[in-house]
Amino acid sequence: MPLSLLFPAGLAALGALLLPLLIHLARRSEFRHTDFAALRWLRARPRPRHRIRIDDWPLLLLRLALLALLALLLAQPVLRPIRSGQAAKVLLAPGVPLARARLLGLPADADWRWLAPGFPTTNGPLPGAAMAQGSLLREFDAMLPAATALHVIVPERWGPLDAQIPRLSRDVHWHVVPGTASPVATPVAPSPPRLLAFADPQVHALRYFQALQAAWQPTNASLQVRALDASQAIPADITVVAWLSAKPLPAALQAWARAGGHLLLTEQASLPAGVSLQPRWRDADGRPLVAGAAFGSGQLLRFARTLDPQSMPQLLDGDLPDRLRALLQPPVAPTQALAAAHVPVRGQRIASPPPATPLAPWLAPLIALVFLLERWLAGARTRRGPA
Amino acid sequence: MTELIPADVRARLRTLQLRSRRLAGAHGSGQHASRSRGAGLEFAQYRAYEPGDEPRRVDWKLYARSDRYFVRESERESPLRLWLLIDATASAQQQDQARPGFTRLDAIRTLAACATDIALRQGDQVGLMAVEVDAVRLVPAGTGLRQRDRLWLGLGALHASGRWPTALERLRPVWERSVAGDVVLALGDCFDDASLDLLERLAAAGREVMQLQVLSADERDFDFTGGHLFRDPETGQELLGDGAAMRADYLQRFQDAQREREARLRQAGIAHATAWMDEPADAGLRRLLAPGARP
Repeated sequence: MPLSLLFPAGLAALGALLLPLLIHLARRSEFRHTDFAALRWLRARPRPRHRIRIDDWPLLLLRLALLALLALLLAQPVLRPIRSGQAAKVLLAPGVPLARARLLGLPADADWRWLAPGFPTTNGPLPGAAMAQGSLLREFDAMLPAATALHVIVPERWGPLDAQIPRLSRDVHWHVVPGTASPVATPVAPSPPRLLAFADPQVHALRYFQALQAAWQPTNASLQVRALDASQAIPADITVVAWLSAKPLPAALQAWARAGGHLLLTEQASLPAGVSLQPRWRDADGRPLVAGAAFGSGQLLRFARTLDPQSMPQLLDGDLPDRLRALLQPPVAPTQALAAAHVPVRGQRIASPPPATPLAPWLAPLIALVFLLERWLAGARTRRGPA
Repeated sequence: MTELIPADVRARLRTLQLRSRRLAGAHGSGQHASRSRGAGLEFAQYRAYEPGDEPRRVDWKLYARSDRYFVRESERESPLRLWLLIDATASAQQQDQARPGFTRLDAIRTLAACATDIALRQGDQVGLMAVEVDAVRLVPAGTGLRQRDRLWLGLGALHASGRWPTALERLRPVWERSVAGDVVLALGDCFDDASLDLLERLAAAGREVMQLQVLSADERDFDFTGGHLFRDPETGQELLGDGAAMRADYLQRFQDAQREREARLRQAGIAHATAWMDEPADAGLRRLLAPGARP
């Protein structure tokens, strides 16, 4: 297990090792005062022998060890798990038949894993549904040592993917196998919205909604208009309701919208309590045209301007139906791609250290033990008699 | 006062005897051969009767044979007078590394107490002369249990300080109190030439001088390691040195000095022995009182 330090500067505390050494030597070199009556037969030696001599090895070593351990504790040592060596890794994307992948002639000692959360080995079954493949690929690449070869086996139609081609820190051996990432259903384009307008018949703006309905459903072009009375149930085929009035929204209409309907309001309409709108569509100058908010499981859209061409010229534009439809039914991004076109590119290596075990919980009792031992030894010296 | 003599030493002291080579001069009856003659056990001589002699001392059997009066004379046995001459100068503060707190003066006290014990048991007179702080502390000679207590008090009051007096005037009590024929037991380190001079002159002046040199184990072995700042307690002189490095030279010079001292003592007819502070108190005395210690 490789040992590494989170705070190597803590090792500077090893300089404290000099302290007991110096104290030991300093204490030794000082002279003891001794009365000696037979001094006249003593002859002075010009220099007393002064070489480095340690009087009490075990105690000194113990104290040095104690300081070294403390310095090590300051440096916050951690044990990193072994990165298994050079064996090549094979990642198998969901949707690839395992038997077919075995025929590719990859290295025999390679480590086969599913491209799935946790990267289980292919000895077990594929866990659960497929997850974002690009993200998993990036994660696995970051965890892998730089030198390890990586084989990725993907089906011809690969997914689910995000909108970016993966950038990996190594050149990947890319194997494409016939097949499809099966569990992901291809998105079905929703049917165009059907409008119901609540308005006084004289309202000028009705004509724009008439045009919208005609543009969305040319075969069923007539706009259903009702008076400002929500007592009648809303037909099942209606997906969008326009409330062209300043009056407060009836509770029945609100309940319908919360259940998944779309509400279109004019600029002077009052909002239900607790709804705050965000701009959804801005004009070329950046001023909002339509603001909206989620409303239950449905949606609430309000025009930011009066519905007339003077204040909102976009009403006369030809792409108004498409724009509004994009607001009502946001287009679904494709999640699958042809694997041959989605080969990862070489990018910067992102070091992602694998989780490491801190050693402090083991080091602290060890330090306490050494400290007790040192106290005991020092005490034993004193008990034996003054030095 | 703490007990000066350990019990085991006291038990062994019974086998020791203090003898003088000279005739004892003190008056009274004792265990030592004396110069005075009179009634006693050991026959000395006959002499002619003189008026005033006691009739019972006339040898009547000899009168029957020779028809003259002869008086039978015997040698009298008299007590000794023992003076304890103690060197209580500052050098008596010397202690051993192995036994801190036990000074040379403590050892001298014990030895003096032992000698007192021996002498008083023999009925001899014991006095104390301690050279201390340029003066002499004196306990007049006497005998008996009360004298022992006086001596012990005097010993307990000793305090090791000062130097050996250079002025001879200071030592006058030694000459005034002791007379020829007295035994002077000198206890001390005898490092000072002046103290050695005093002993030589006392011996020349007819005192029976014995010298028991009391030395510490450190002075004998010089068992010092590491750096030491050695200080002479008497002169205050200091010397810095490493114990292990100085040992061989010191031992050589110290033994030379000891040999020289012994030669001087032998020449002066002074019995001499060395008592070590790390041995039982009676061992040194035993060596001193053994017949071999006499020159």
